[in-house]
Amino acid sequence: MVSTIQNTDVKQKDSARAVVVAVSSRAVFGSGAGDGLYGMGVAFPLLQALQRVNERLLEENPAESLLFDVVLITTDSQQQQQSSSIISSTRHYGLEVSRFCFSSEEDFIESLIKNNVQLFLSTDRNEAPQASQKGVLSALLDRHVAPSEQLRVMFCGDAVVQPDTGPMPASRQAAQSFSAQLGEMRRRFGMLDSPLSIVLVTSRGGRESCGGALRTLRSHGLSVDEAYCLAGAPRSPILSVIRPHFLLSDSFSCLED
Amino acid sequence: MSVNNGHTLTTRGQDLTSSSHRALLEDARKLLKPSTPTRKPQPPKPENAVTIGVSARVMFNMEKEQQIYEQQGLEDYIKYQVEHETQPFSPGPAFSFVKALEAVNTRLRELYPESEELFDVVLMTNNHAYVGLRLINTINHHQLFIERFCMTGGNSPIGYLKAYHTNLYLSADPVKVREALEEGIAAATMFTPEKMTEVSETQLRVAFDGDAVLFSDESERIYKAHGLDKFFEHEKAHENKPLDHGPLKGFLEALGKLQKKFYGKGQRMDCPIRTYLVTARSAASSGTRALKTLRSWGLEIDEALFLAGAPKGPMLEKIRPHIFFDDQMFHVEGAAEMGTVACHVPYGIAQRVARKGINDKETSSSLK
Repeated sequence: MVSTIQNTDVKQKDSARAVVVAVSSRAVFGSGAGDGLYGMGVAFPLLQALQRVNERLLEENPAESLLFDVVLITTDSQQQQQSSSIISSTRHYGLEVSRFCFSSEEDFIESLIKNNVQLFLSTDRNEAPQASQKGVLSALLDRHVAPSEQLRVMFCGDAVVQPDTGPMPASRQAAQSFSAQLGEMRRRFGMLDSPLSIVLVTSRGGRESCGGALRTLRSHGLSVDEAYCLAGAPRSPILSVIRPHFLLSDSFSCLED
Repeated sequence: MSVNNGHTLTTRGQDLTSSSHRALLEDARKLLKPSTPTRKPQPPKPENAVTIGVSARVMFNMEKEQQIYEQQGLEDYIKYQVEHETQPFSPGPAFSFVKALEAVNTRLRELYPESEELFDVVLMTNNHAYVGLRLINTINHHQLFIERFCMTGGNSPIGYLKAYHTNLYLSADPVKVREALEEGIAAATMFTPEKMTEVSETQLRVAFDGDAVLFSDESERIYKAHGLDKFFEHEKAHENKPLDHGPLKGFLEALGKLQKKFYGKGQRMDCPIRTYLVTARSAASSGTRALKTLRSWGLEIDEALFLAGAPKGPMLEKIRPHIFFDDQMFHVEGAAEMGTVACHVPYGIAQRVARKGINDKETSSSLK
């Protein structure tokens, strides 16, 4: 069973243009709703960063329709019972969430598709790959990231594949259209002081690999701000300096070290 | 490479110096074994390698682009870079140093094919990745073996230097160099000499000043505070007390470790790494403490030149090092005037004592 509730505190976005990002509520809110309010979870800084991008976009152009449209997905049956706490916690913290989706663990992908979700973020190691398999671009949220004000989106270069002749899998198509939209958003800002930074990391390949990824992303309409070519060097020391909010890749092997 | 009727093998008209001779043999071997795929050697793990972080502006000549940045700002700079993406940069002051590092690696790989104790050059720049393709194209054009880089898009590279276990960081920006030194990373500001004397392609030559570079600045402090006589007295009295270490001691140590690998295979005479101490100390007196200190550290230096205060430029012109480190701008400029690639180590008491006529080339924001 899938149900959607609109957040009346927040102005609804233009569904034709907005970039719909679904985040699992389990990631946004911490444990226990003591006195009806949840604590701040791992994804909290991410939501604030997404919000900041929207604020800056609207500063540049008050009529801007290319904005992040954040949807909270709740599959956890325990949390569902506390649906009012989720909604009141969202309002309490002033989070710019447009809609709340409640579904069972079996149905959640259906709710993603129904809501036109372009990017699904979760801390659950099962949910994200499952959604990806059904063609929804998904990413695991980094549990250890120290929050930065700037939204930092990382692409794993080893998985940025050169265009091939075969039919494009749905997830790759989703990745390409997301890249294009992100690229357009990024272009609204200058080189310095952008609320959004696009980071490319190539783990295994050398400079040719990285150069190829830069070109491919550029062909999808996305220019990269920062590029790190590791050529086999250990990733975690570099990732802890980069501090991305999430990593995008075709395969989830990108996350193993 | 061309084979002319089976007679002479030439490599693009170069003289048959020992490095190109070796390259010839390698090419010949490849010709004779067509089934063996030419595998690009894998870069070593950072903890095993001697990692050298080099900024884009010292690796390549980006003077024109730097001017555009300073006069017209970042957006125009980026636009220019992207427009000229397929145009490789010409070599900068660090280029011959990096080529020499690669020559040493080739020799090390021959002797120790399984070892990861090699030089690893990482391009460490705070340029935006928009410039990335031009930099990659340039690396390809010059056939450099640089597979690792960090383009931080305006953020400080210091965290990345640490993540890569960087042994030496070279940049044109004195602010970043100072930051690196404060984090305990050997670093120096590299300047472009007006003319560059030719240096060896087969033997890496590194020259160091002593005080406040290899050694701490403790003796220099005495000289500055109490004069030359007191300095001599003090050094004589403390001859057997090793000086404390300076910021570049670790790098000398790393070079020494690689040198021993050649000695171990009977190649002391033909070692492709040579180190020099070029100091204002005198051989007869204050020089002794310097040598004894090195010995107490278990470090060797191939040639020690005690100039007793004489200018360093002419001596360096004879040595032809790929790189020279000094803590005093006076010596750095003197060396550069005579064609040596000289780097300033902004460490110690000499930085606080302003010298007349020295032009401090500090820029508050610069891209490399």
